[in-house]
Amino acid sequence: MMPDMTQHGKAETEHWQPQKSVPVIMLDRVSKTYGRINALNSVSLGISGGVTGILGMNGAGKSTLFKLMMGKVKPSSGAIRIFGVDPWKNPAPYSRVGFVPEHEKMYDWMTAFDFIVTFARLHGMTRKEAEKESTRVLSFVSLADVMHKKIGQFSKGMRQRVKIAHALVNDPELIVLDEPLQGCDPLARTTIMNVIKELGAMGRTVLVSSHILNEIERITEQIVILHNGRILALGNSHAIREMLDQHPHKIALECDNARELAKSIIKIEQVTGMSFVEEGKLLIETNHLGEVHKQLPRTIIESGRKVTSIDNPDDDLQSILMYLTGGSA
Amino acid sequence: MSNRMDTIWSQLDRKSTAIAEFTLRQYRTRISTWVVMIASVVALLLVLLFYIEAMNTEIEAIDNDGDSFDNDGDGYPNGQEKLLGTNPDSAEDFPVGVEPDPPEKWINEDDIEWTNLKEGENYVGKDDDRDCLDYYDTTSQRDTNDNGIECDIIVSVDSLNSTVSIVSDSGVDEDPDEDKYGKEAGHRAFILGIGKFGIVYLLGIFLPLFLATGLIREEMTEGTIHYMLAKPIARGEVLLYRMMGYIGITWPFILAVCLGLCLITGFTGPGEGLFRWEDVPVWMSIAWAAMLVSLVYGTIFCGFGIVWKNGVILAIIFAAWELGMAFVTILTGGDSSIRYMSVIGWGMIIVDAGAAVGWPDNWQLIEIGLWGGGHGEENWLGDIAYIPLPGAEPLSAFSGSPNLGVSNWLALVISTVVLIFQGIMAWFIGQTIFKGKEVN
Repeated sequence: MMPDMTQHGKAETEHWQPQKSVPVIMLDRVSKTYGRINALNSVSLGISGGVTGILGMNGAGKSTLFKLMMGKVKPSSGAIRIFGVDPWKNPAPYSRVGFVPEHEKMYDWMTAFDFIVTFARLHGMTRKEAEKESTRVLSFVSLADVMHKKIGQFSKGMRQRVKIAHALVNDPELIVLDEPLQGCDPLARTTIMNVIKELGAMGRTVLVSSHILNEIERITEQIVILHNGRILALGNSHAIREMLDQHPHKIALECDNARELAKSIIKIEQVTGMSFVEEGKLLIETNHLGEVHKQLPRTIIESGRKVTSIDNPDDDLQSILMYLTGGSA
Repeated sequence: MSNRMDTIWSQLDRKSTAIAEFTLRQYRTRISTWVVMIASVVALLLVLLFYIEAMNTEIEAIDNDGDSFDNDGDGYPNGQEKLLGTNPDSAEDFPVGVEPDPPEKWINEDDIEWTNLKEGENYVGKDDDRDCLDYYDTTSQRDTNDNGIECDIIVSVDSLNSTVSIVSDSGVDEDPDEDKYGKEAGHRAFILGIGKFGIVYLLGIFLPLFLATGLIREEMTEGTIHYMLAKPIARGEVLLYRMMGYIGITWPFILAVCLGLCLITGFTGPGEGLFRWEDVPVWMSIAWAAMLVSLVYGTIFCGFGIVWKNGVILAIIFAAWELGMAFVTILTGGDSSIRYMSVIGWGMIIVDAGAAVGWPDNWQLIEIGLWGGGHGEENWLGDIAYIPLPGAEPLSAFSGSPNLGVSNWLALVISTVVLIFQGIMAWFIGQTIFKGKEVN
């Protein structure tokens, strides 16, 4: 007897199971264009856990990347997933996210405490819960003593800390900070950096953007360099540095007698050239920055000269970008 | 399941109250809120001053039939002589042993006192000064309207065509009290005028223009919207709860304004009692209409703000359209169907329905005033163009009929439902746009 081929039989029921291990952030060939401007160009990225620094010059696409992640703008192509969910038109994943926007404008008429309580309630907290959590996060960012003061009376650094506290009130697994150190004084920078490092140490996934390499390096080793909407480099900052070390570098020395010091330094094998910029200032050129730095202290001591400063003038983001882009940055 | 529902509801409640409360506090800190409210109150108070002055100024009494005159100079007014059967044109013929009346007693001596007119022909009127009953000799003279009743008035009411015709016997209700009528009609005209135009339209449109257009837009421009949109809350909800905050400030304000005006006009207005309780339903309908209209305008304007950063321009264009509709609705007294294509048209139906409930005799008062005692000049068609009593024309202009072909209460319910539906549609369109809007 021929079997009835039209009968497919009872399908096996597929029980839906939540995906247990999805990356916190997943970008798959994401592009974003504004008219004819390519703000982000085919960016693919997966991030889970720890602090990741997003480094790039102004206009590199850092803020666009964050806006895409936060569902503020729609990708022109590609897919974004936050905890496995597309954030565009779907605010569900934000219960696990804390976002510190770049915008400086805040509700100056509110006290820091009121501000955080109000927005904590948008996470579905009762007023009491919100008050308790707000006190906790304000203490975490060291603002407990001024929390009942109006935000309008706060310094730039304090305002940034209020913004960070507001993003932490729901105890998020992912914290996105857009230029949190911009315009802060050194003390505020240190406080904010410590807060970010502590969040990373607590196992949170933290994304922090900046255009200053040193700042990011003080917070994390895991960096993503964005340039003209593309990922230029990605990985451990030491690895990137090592890669850069193979490239011509300059070291500027300030000393009491530059010519005398030059006589000693020329003996270092890896030094390829030297020049005297001005009185008491020596500029060394090398292709092996790390090696020269290793030998430099001993050479200086042996020369008997007094060196007042050692600086790497091209050790900034601009120089790195110049190198990575082959001079087109 | 119920536990889950409880959780969802309680969380929604926390989010909604948080945003609504935040919005209210935000309004409190903005100078524009206070400016628009204080300006509204000052403007209304100014108009109110004119009303109070009008209510305290006596309207000049007019002797329509000349009964206060003393034609023959014997000291007795014509009306008194007619009543007592002596000849008003002969100085030798006067009432003996009777004191002459003061002339002012015979100025407004035959007032109009009709009530409860019904559909079809009504035979009304009372010849208070007996200048019809006693002065005319023949039955035909006393029954010029030829209905078999001497010295009466035929009032034919045709609701289907919204017409009332009045045919009076000579000398019946011919000398009404201008002051009494004018105060009552003026009072009602003021309430309807200030209510429909000043409160439902102007307040209804200016409050949202200043308070709702920027409700989302200002946050977008300043970048503060990012705080709200980075939370697990749908944009449609943000819009809804922001609108709740807007209602929280505008509705109590409208109620307070209407309550204040109701109290002031209720105590200072004409009438026998201490307070004019019959005005309360009218003021309530004005307040309700203004509240609903401001809600619909607010939601629309807020949507305009989301669509375009200069959304206020769209709001002003829309306000101009609504102004036209307000005029069409007021001037046609509810006869024009074009008013259904607006927000204000439905708002005014609520006021008209409220006025019909509070003042069921309003349309009769208008007809009486427009007839004014039956004095006037015959026009080329042979109809008499009556000289209206003071206040009759403004009352007629500002009064209207709900004209929905249903009872007043049902008209009130229907227009309320329509306005709420308009508000929901505006919110739905607004939130759809907001959802798809990229926020930079």
